[in-house]
Amino acid sequence: MLGKLMKYEWQSTWRLLLPANLLIVVMTFFACITMSLARSDHYDITAHDGVFFSAVMILVTYVGSMFVVMIGTAIYLIYRFYVSTYGDQGYLLHTLPVDKHHIIIAKVAASTAWVLLSSFLIYLSIFLIFADGFLLEMIDSMELFGDEVGGSPSIFAGIMTLIAFVISILARVLKVTACLSLGQLSANHKLLMSFAYYFGIYFLQQMIGSFYYAFLGLINRKLDTFYYGRPWEVTLIVSLVYVVIFYAVTWYTMDKRLNLD
Amino acid sequence: MAPIVQCMGLTKTYGRKIALNQICLNLERGRIIGLLGPNGSGKTTLIKIMNGLLNPTSGDILIEGVRPGVETKYMISYLPERTYLYPGMRVEEMVRYFQDFYPDFRMDRAYDMLARLQIDPRERLKNLSKGTKEKVQLILVMSRDADLYILDEPIAGVDPASRDYILHTIVQNYNRNATILLSTHLIADVENILDEVVFIKYGNIILQAGAEQIRRNEGKSIDRFFREVFAC
Repeated sequence: MLGKLMKYEWQSTWRLLLPANLLIVVMTFFACITMSLARSDHYDITAHDGVFFSAVMILVTYVGSMFVVMIGTAIYLIYRFYVSTYGDQGYLLHTLPVDKHHIIIAKVAASTAWVLLSSFLIYLSIFLIFADGFLLEMIDSMELFGDEVGGSPSIFAGIMTLIAFVISILARVLKVTACLSLGQLSANHKLLMSFAYYFGIYFLQQMIGSFYYAFLGLINRKLDTFYYGRPWEVTLIVSLVYVVIFYAVTWYTMDKRLNLD
Repeated sequence: MAPIVQCMGLTKTYGRKIALNQICLNLERGRIIGLLGPNGSGKTTLIKIMNGLLNPTSGDILIEGVRPGVETKYMISYLPERTYLYPGMRVEEMVRYFQDFYPDFRMDRAYDMLARLQIDPRERLKNLSKGTKEKVQLILVMSRDADLYILDEPIAGVDPASRDYILHTIVQNYNRNATILLSTHLIADVENILDEVVFIKYGNIILQAGAEQIRRNEGKSIDRFFREVFAC
């Protein structure tokens, strides 16, 4: 049944999100051409007002479309999860003979994949537009990740950073599903309550982060050291903990405390 | 044979409000049962608990001897009182969806009913009227060979001309060993197909009896009797 749920999740999300991601590709293409013209030694882009105005418009549209796709994808996925799980369509979803774990996995996997795809395309797009000289700087900065592991330290750190990034996106998606699930427990203003839970949990996370670094600072001062962990280590461990907590909250409320209007 | 539905001291509260109060109810197999009561009497709450869409505050409910869960969802074919279909899908995609998830779904039966009601399977659900969407839902629900059909207000949103066809569809298409639990306000329209009625008021079951028995003992139709029992 998990495979079938996944199939329908993809079918219902790709119609809107695939064109949105294609927009990133198209806008990147135009922005790259514009930037190449701007950098060209053979052509002065400011010589003609029309060309200059068009170039500025393309770059403004490019930046705007990136924001629209990024924010629009998040809003659409949140809305879809809410309507299909706790709205009218929840009546169909929760009367299917499927395990609640499968429902959560299918929805979270599809949402995470779309967020990762959009993020990857946006990062790649920015990289391509500013690739001139930026590429070498990036490769140099990879050396900063270097540690003592094996013969290719930067590759290991790079892979771990990538894994930590994926897990952190998963944790964010699950945080949203947990907040929407908690919000549906209230008798009224379910969406408003979901936002309240989101900001409450966000505040709590910031507090925990501050306490963690304050605690490490205290230990460092005592031992006269300066160790705060590698960036990917902290992200990976913290994200994994949040994945477990938010998954458990989502599953418990969906399975044991379902409260459809 | 054990009842298909057993409610034992079933209670559901929303804060201080009691929606269901210590309900004890057994529903037998092979019967068409009307769950009748005014607005806010607890009909939909009871139905939602049977379908696992709400959890009871206390008491227990068993469907074929098991608590609502994945296993009972194979047995129950449920029609809610609202539109739950995906608006972006075509009717034929929704038919495939039901066939994918319910092993007892009969695609030929669904297409036959769609043709009789002149509903184009290629049409997207968002382009259909509310009444036609409800007909599509009913067709999907009645195209299953379920053990228990739970229909919450199945004729409320359709025009009077279509009601007879829908009731005919319900009676013609259900598995004879199955039970139909039908909740409605429109008692006059359904009373001829009912074998049994359950009256519910303020979260309490106040009567459970055979339809014929009520007509004989009271000397009046169920609709008339209902109006007297629930007179304001």
